[in-house]
Amino acid sequence: MRQNDVIVIGGGLAGLFAAITAAKRGRQVMLVTKGVGAIAIGGGSIDVLGYDATGKPVRDPSAALGGLAADHPFAILGQQRVETAVQTFLGLCEAEGYPYQGDLQHNQWIPTALGRLKPTCLTPLTMNSAILKAATDVTVVEFEGLKDYSGRVMVDGLRQCPGYAKNYSLVSLKTDINDGRDLTALDVARWLDSDSGQAAFIERLTAAVRPGSVILLPPVLGTKPDYRLFHALEQATGCKLVETVGLPPAVTGYRLRRLLVNCLGKLNVKMIEQANVVRGIVENGRCTGIVTGNLDRERTYRAESFILASGGFFGGGLQAEAGRAREVVFDLPITVPANSADWSKEKLFFAGSQPFAKFGLQVDGKLRPVDASGKLLLENVYVAGKSLAGYDYCVEKSGNGVALATAYQAGAEA
Amino acid sequence: MKKTTAVIIGGGATGVGILRDLSMRGVAAVLLEQRDLAYGASSRFHGLLHSGGRYAVKDAEAARECAEENAVLRKIGRHCVESTTGYFVRLPEDDPAYEAKWVVACQAAGIPVEPVDLARAHRLEPHFSERAAAVYEVPDAAIDGFRLCRQNVLSAKRYGGKMMNYTEVTSIEQQNGQVTAVKTRNTLTGELGSIECDIVVNAAGSWVGQVAGLAGIKINVIPDRGTLIAFNHRFTDRIMNRLRPPANADIFVPHGSVTLLGTTSSPTERPDDFTPTTEEVLALIDEGKELFDELPRYRLLRAYTGTRPLYCADPTAATREISRNFVILDHAKEGLDGLISIVGGKLTTYRLMAEKISDAICGKLSVQAPCRTAEEALVDDIAPELMQQAKKFFPTAGVELAASRLGPDLAETVQRIQANPAKKELVCECELVTLAEVETVAHDDTTFTMSDIRRRTRMGMGTCQGTYCGLRGLGMMVDNDLARGMTTENLLREFLETRWNGIRPILWGQQMREVELTRGIYGAGLNMDGAVPDETE
Ligand SMILES: Cc1cc2nc3c(=O)[nH]c(=O)nc-3n(C[C@H](O)[C@H](O)[C@H](O)COP(=O)(O)OP(=O)(O)OC[C@H]3O[C@@H](n4cnc5c(N)ncnc54)[C@H](O)[C@@H]3O)c2cc1C
Ligand SMILES: Cc1cc2nc3c(=O)[nH]c(=O)nc-3n(C[C@H](O)[C@H](O)[C@H](O)COP(=O)(O)OP(=O)(O)OC[C@H]3O[C@@H](n4cnc5c(N)ncnc54)[C@H](O)[C@@H]3O)c2cc1C
Repeated sequence: MRQNDVIVIGGGLAGLFAAITAAKRGRQVMLVTKGVGAIAIGGGSIDVLGYDATGKPVRDPSAALGGLAADHPFAILGQQRVETAVQTFLGLCEAEGYPYQGDLQHNQWIPTALGRLKPTCLTPLTMNSAILKAATDVTVVEFEGLKDYSGRVMVDGLRQCPGYAKNYSLVSLKTDINDGRDLTALDVARWLDSDSGQAAFIERLTAAVRPGSVILLPPVLGTKPDYRLFHALEQATGCKLVETVGLPPAVTGYRLRRLLVNCLGKLNVKMIEQANVVRGIVENGRCTGIVTGNLDRERTYRAESFILASGGFFGGGLQAEAGRAREVVFDLPITVPANSADWSKEKLFFAGSQPFAKFGLQVDGKLRPVDASGKLLLENVYVAGKSLAGYDYCVEKSGNGVALATAYQAGAEA
Repeated sequence: MKKTTAVIIGGGATGVGILRDLSMRGVAAVLLEQRDLAYGASSRFHGLLHSGGRYAVKDAEAARECAEENAVLRKIGRHCVESTTGYFVRLPEDDPAYEAKWVVACQAAGIPVEPVDLARAHRLEPHFSERAAAVYEVPDAAIDGFRLCRQNVLSAKRYGGKMMNYTEVTSIEQQNGQVTAVKTRNTLTGELGSIECDIVVNAAGSWVGQVAGLAGIKINVIPDRGTLIAFNHRFTDRIMNRLRPPANADIFVPHGSVTLLGTTSSPTERPDDFTPTTEEVLALIDEGKELFDELPRYRLLRAYTGTRPLYCADPTAATREISRNFVILDHAKEGLDGLISIVGGKLTTYRLMAEKISDAICGKLSVQAPCRTAEEALVDDIAPELMQQAKKFFPTAGVELAASRLGPDLAETVQRIQANPAKKELVCECELVTLAEVETVAHDDTTFTMSDIRRRTRMGMGTCQGTYCGLRGLGMMVDNDLARGMTTENLLREFLETRWNGIRPILWGQQMREVELTRGIYGAGLNMDGAVPDETE
């Protein structure tokens, strides 16, 4: 039987990156996950810190990390570790042939399908917002039947952003997908994975745009982490291209996930998918194993240390009932307000951070779970990603950044 | 200045019923609604077309009215009613003496009531409690309040009646003891206006006291809150009532793919006190689980609250005890001719209420025409040829749904798809609402917001509660130049926040997951609500 040093629970961004980090240290790693996580829904741009606690846009995330509350995961890690995690991530993408751009000292403002700009830190080259910023002539591309993306909404919104009063034009292109189903960006991206799709698209796009224009399009440039189609399109059209953030499924997230999963393969990390971890086996404050499956067929896996990267309410790592919340694998305590009206605010948006969004596990400096009084609960379990308490990624724009930085730390400790 | 004979205030069932009745009798009438049709109790209710059974013991008159109107509405409002029938179930802890009294009272009120063999009842409705001691069947049914309001307006329009939504009446003008006009304010744009008239009908539901107050007249009404919860699936095909004196949480109503449980009852100051609380929801589940043992494990969809206007001579009376019969108040008695109010009642009896008040108005105007609202259907049935055509374009499961939802708008929707087959794509996957349908409805000159589209099509009513269809619906409005002066941000916010109002009190389980997704999309991903600096770099 395979002897594991480390078992990672959860295959979202945090789980994948933690597994890579531990494996690179020479640990024998196994990753067990139920699903693919938020990355396939949310996307591949890495937010680190877009807004400070007062809602003010952050120019330099690295500098702003110091201003966060003490229980924020970034505050627990400290600026230096976040910097190292970001560098390591950038190096990994580079080495895998799909470099990201950006650094921890700057935020970039990327366009979203709502015609808004959003601060993020690292993006694939296909989302380089500096290109859009500098453009005078912008061609917004829609796809016939892609209902999740309206070029008009995009243009109307962008026009209202300071500095974005550009010369916009709209083109609508056909795909060759005609199986009668409604289209998503992922369908279009899969079409563009095929040689015939690429050829047809290059021809149609070239005919529809003027050289020198900047082409803004939904995230559809293939599902694989490579830039060949992107560069081919730039060549053929004589234009620069920028992908926007859209509705799920998130093609840019698929690419990043694929990159990381490829990397896991090379590092000989065993990945068990569609496996539900139902509980952990704990003896004397240490986890000795985890149990997967359901009542009729259970399996136990043992290791020296464990990384809990099972996500938040969306990922499934946390669950709420009326009046209480819990962590599902170890049944670790989650502190919640006694009065249910204090779980959330009267408005969902434009209201700052939501109390429920910050629910999660409290941890020590090594990211191990502690109780409300600070007492260590499990000495060989390290928590990474959305299971952690103390941050609201939707408002501060920090989701993938917290996942990466805490995963790096957990992977380095475990 | 615009002119008409009668201005009706309030676009709930009562107001639209009056608009239709007066229009059919040839009286020029305009209905003014401060928000959208059915903004008040007529959509924030249980959706039960009462057989009368609930009132049989306590209020024989109300029971008889319900029984009669139930039969009328099944006929004239076919497309608003789902003829489910209903069970009254007595549990062992419920008083058997009440059962005996109830059966006699139902018979006296003309309500057909049939005992049902317990084994058979459980075969037909497998989920309700095995503990049931007795079951009776009555002709309860489910009714769609918004559709009922809309179809009354469509019918009235054919007779010259007019409806203006987002038009709030801000004052009632009078001269020498006679009503002369109303002043209005558009609640979306702030635009002011006025309409000259001889008659003002106050059908403002829970707001009836406020509206009378505009003319300096006092009506003693207490708004009474009632909260309901919607479960994410249909676990009963019949209305399920507890056979006991009316109390909280004792009715389950299946509505399309969901099931509604209600209600609670508590007095409030504000007619628009529409925010449900977790305590109310938990109390409903706790009580409701007596009839459905598995209830605490069923997935919730949302909670909502409506208010009932309870009229009382004695303001200290306990609210549940007040007769739910309606009253008509002719304020000529208080020295203001032309103002007439209608208070109370039920949605089930809206047509009868409209008939009675229209009789009184026609009396004043010396109009002889009789009431015909009970004879003529609200909207024509859809021609079989059109249904055949529609079947080619709609998702199989969606045709019948779309047909009853759209009624007369079906033809235009089918035309849109014929002209451009891409328009059959689904904007709302949960409720199977096509782009063509959303476009048809959005082009209507009384559609302004995305919630208006939701009420007319059910877009956003399903499991995802507007998360996916929000951006799509917005795209459709912008692409068709239908934003009508509203910013994309305001359109989307209004849509998502009204959904949130119903999810907030049930923020656990799957709803918590859905909310993280909604915030992830519109917050983390699309950045709907984050500030954008003056200069980005
Ligand atoms: C709609 C949306 C848009 C977003 N947009 C952005 C963005 O643009 N930029 C950004 O930086 N961030 C964004 N985020 C946030 C970001 O995606 C997440 O914060 C981050 O990916 C979380 O990663 P995670 O690995 O911690 O959790 P998750 O991705 O939730 O992963 C948890 C994993 O654990 C598995 N799991 C859970 N329970 C068990 C169990 N019992 N047994 C086995 N496996 C289990 C799950 O299946 C899943 O694979 C977005 C999020 C959403 C929802
Ligand atoms: C919780 C609950 C459950 C119920 N369940 C049922 C049931 O299952 N079956 C049943 O038959 N009945 C039921 N009822 C009763 C039924 O809903 C109401 O009796 C009926 O809907 C009242 O209709 P209405 O038109 O009188 O009032 P409303 O529907 O409240 O309409 C009044 C309208 O007046 C408008 N308005 C107010 N002020 C102004 C102004 N100044 N200018 C312009 N417009 C104005 C409001 O916006 C509102 O739309 C229930 C009621 C409640 C509260």
